[in-house]
Formats: sequence, C-alpha cells, structure tokens
Amino acid sequence: MSRWDHRDACAIAGIGHTDFSKNSGRSDLTLATQAALAAIADAGLVPADIDGIVRSDYDHVSHNALADAIGADNLTYWGQSGPGGIAPSSIIGQAIGAIVSGQATTVLAFRELNGRSGARFGLGGSDKFVVGGNASYDEFFNPFGLLTPAQMFGLMQQRHMSQYGTTREDLAAIAIACRNRANANPNAQMYERPLDLETYMDARMISWPLCLFDCCLETDGAAAVIITTTERARDLAQPPAVIRASAHASGPNIQPGQMFPALLRDSIIELPGRHVAKLLYERAGLGANDIDVAQIYDCFTITALMEFEDYQLCERGEGGRWASSGAIELGGELPINTAGGHMSEGYIHGMNHVLEGVRQIRGTSTSQVEGAEVCLVTSSPPPASSAFLLVADR
Amino acid sequence: MTDMPRPIPNMDDLDTAGFFKAAAEHKLTIRTCTQCGASYSLPREYCRECGAFAMEWKEVSGKATLHAYTVVTHPVHPAFPVPYTAVLVDLVDVPGARMVGNIPGEHHLEVGQAMEVWFEHVEDGIVLPQWKVAE
Ligand SMILES: [Zn+2]
Repeated sequence: MSRWDHRDACAIAGIGHTDFSKNSGRSDLTLATQAALAAIADAGLVPADIDGIVRSDYDHVSHNALADAIGADNLTYWGQSGPGGIAPSSIIGQAIGAIVSGQATTVLAFRELNGRSGARFGLGGSDKFVVGGNASYDEFFNPFGLLTPAQMFGLMQQRHMSQYGTTREDLAAIAIACRNRANANPNAQMYERPLDLETYMDARMISWPLCLFDCCLETDGAAAVIITTTERARDLAQPPAVIRASAHASGPNIQPGQMFPALLRDSIIELPGRHVAKLLYERAGLGANDIDVAQIYDCFTITALMEFEDYQLCERGEGGRWASSGAIELGGELPINTAGGHMSEGYIHGMNHVLEGVRQIRGTSTSQVEGAEVCLVTSSPPPASSAFLLVADR
Repeated sequence: MTDMPRPIPNMDDLDTAGFFKAAAEHKLTIRTCTQCGASYSLPREYCRECGAFAMEWKEVSGKATLHAYTVVTHPVHPAFPVPYTAVLVDLVDVPGARMVGNIPGEHHLEVGQAMEVWFEHVEDGIVLPQWKVAE
C-alpha cells in the first residue's frame, strides 16, 4: 500500500446546511440535525445509511447525540479533529481513512455552532479567575492582556506589514472580494450589504492594524457533508465531487494549547499550512497552478493572506500585493471564497468552505467559476492544519 | 462584564508555576535543560532535544527586542482598559525565546527596537514580568 492510495478514492456525495444568522433560536442539536438531514437527502440517502460520523472538537453535539437524533443506528466509525477550525478538512481526511480501510462506507462530517447567540469566541480563559495549567499555557498569555483571536492576528498583521510592506489596502482587497461574492449568495449573512474601500479604511479598529472588516462574522448555523467511495457516489443523487487528495500536517514546532502559543514559533507569519500544501500537492500530483478556484480559511483577512503564500498561490511576502492586483476576484487568476467565506457568508468554522468547494465542482455556485475542475479547500488557521483538493469526476 | 475578575496565572501547576514564583522575587527565568542547555518559553519537564528530565529555572537578563505589537482598541475585559499596546518580544540572551506583555495606552513602536522587563504586582503573590520600551 502506498501513501497515495486515497487519491480519487472518495467523493463528497451530499451537502447540507441551515440558514446562517445571528440568532438561530434553535439548539445546537437542532442545527446539527437539520444540516445532517439536508446533506443525507441531497445525496439521495437515508439516515440508516450513515455508518460513520466525524466532527470538530469544538462541536457541542457529540457523534452519539447526532446519531441518536437522526436515527443512524449502525455506526461503525467516529472521530474528531481540532482545535476548532482545523477540523473540516482534517475530519474529511479521517473519513477517507475510515472508508479506504473498510471501517465505514458512508461518513457524515459536520460542524454546528450558535457562535453568536450562544458561547462566543474570544474571551479565552478570561472569564475565569485563575487561568492556565495542565499544558494549556494560557497563563503565559491571558494575564498579559492577550485574550482574543483578533489580538493575536493583529500581531501577525502588524509583523507582515512591517516585514513585507503589506498595506491595509491589500487586506481590504481580501475583505471586499469575499463581500462581493456574498452579495450574490442569498444564504450569506452579508447578502445585500456591499463593502467598498472607503468604508473599510474608515472602519473602527479592533486591534490596530486590524479593523472590524478584517474579522470574520459570528454566526449561528450548521453545515454537513457526506463522504463515500467515488464509485458509490456515481450511483447517488448528485455528481460526485471527487477528493483528489487530503492532507493534515503540523510541521516542526507544532506548539501546545489552543491558539496563542503559535506566537512563539520562529516566524509568526508562516503557518503550518505550508507543510500541508507540500504534502497535499505531492499526494494529488497537482500543483498550485492547477487550481481553478479556492476556498481559503479566513477567520481574518491576514489568515487568508498568509495562506496565499503558504499554499504557493503567490510568492512569499507577496500575498497582499497579489490580492490587491485583482487575482482573487471573480474573473481573476484565482477566485476565492465564492460563497463569501467566513467574513461575509458566515462563520461555520471552515465547514461552509467545504460545501462551497463542492458547489464549484458541481457547477452550482452563485459565483460559479467557468469550467472549474480543481478546487482547493483549506482549514488552516495557526495550529497544525489541513486541506484537500476537490476535482470533477472524469 | 464589570464583575469579571482579572485573569491571574495558575500558581499550582507543576510545570509552569515556578516561572511566576521567580517573578514574585523579581527574577525573569526560563525553563532550561541542565544537560544540554535547551530552553523552553512554555515550561515542561522533558527536554525533547536531549531526552533528559533535568530542568532548572535559569535566570536571564530582562533585555529583549520587539517582534510585533498591536494596539488593542476593542474592549473585551474591564481589567484591561483600552487602548493598550500588546507586545511580543524576543529575549536577547536566549535565542528563540519569546514572551508577551502589555503597555497601557496607544504606542507606535518599531520591530526590532530594544525592550526591557519590569515586574507588575497584580495582587499579593501574583507578579507578572512585563515589557516596556528600554530606557
Ligand atoms: Zn536537554
């Protein structure tokens, strides 16, 4: 068995999601159930067909709660990955592993959160009096005033601007490209709300030089996909979105904890995504030049910018200038986040990017890239990360 | 939000509390392997470089250079009134060691500029090594 045996072996056969809102008014379990049932129906399956469930470690809903809720009575595999936004591509990798090794045939991957009305991100351990311990290492960050993701990415953005001459206009180009795509997507939270450069430049600072429009949304919602063999997917309801290859990678200096220890790596503006990219392209037999459209994990504009470089979409240090050249717009060299991404569609922690990747391969996106046959999907915030490549069934 | 207490470090953790106990004596330390000299900004007992379980709290100078900074303007915690400037520093005498701190107010700094430690008394027994522009 070679390490490339998973190439083209599996496909995404179904996708489903809830509405994306600021206040769902439903439980996490209801959201997960709705997304799961929608994905199963999209594939032309029934819940009893699902024998595997994979999830993010940040999901409140467990694999067994969801299996019980939907009536998946014959689970033979389950798993999870994280922290948080690393999960979507990574759990799809786990699903492939389960399927090609014979541990499951039909795996549901999901992410749910009441990310606005429920437990919001960003206070870290700060609502507790005593922080840290047990290898969390929060005691080296929270007591010093580092409490939120925006503050950490503000440090990264400042360093990238200082080191490479990246400008706020460059970052604006990323926020605006995503917003333009959301403006065409009726399910996006920013569907009818355009964003222009002047509005971006005048926005309130959150953690200078990072402003309001550099941040993702906070969203209530859920999204799910069904993974099965490519061969079986051909007999189901939708054209298969074939998973050409999948990779997770840490690289050296993985760092413990949830987030802030990534600030202790030699470089704070090169992420483990660069190790994922190398492995992914090798496994796929494809390179960055083969990609037609990309769904780039964008918790902040600077995250997406660093991934442009990590995934070799442009030269190291040139991510900002590449973005503001128009490359990432529809009709540009490599359109990104064609449903609007985290900053303008909704923040389903990378899972909405997976669904949009599938739509591009099916040809059903609200911002369809003409003739798209290869789509990169990343789940690459600063911790050890993951990504995969979707291709059309040939 | 107003009743949220300021986060303070866990002073009982077997791996990390020594850093804050040394800080209470106004000493900046870094967990360092007595066998090979490798140092760890995030303290632990096992040295992955040489395989020893033989760490000590090595006192280091409080000299550093600025690696990056951000001016926090969005309030999230009453113990940290905005604006404040969060700083990430590289220790001068321990290559690869990095620490964080904050300076009240908005300050625009230069990557690479000299920084130095000072010790902030948060409450009885809780002292944080903090960073400011070197004088
Ligand atoms: Zn050692």
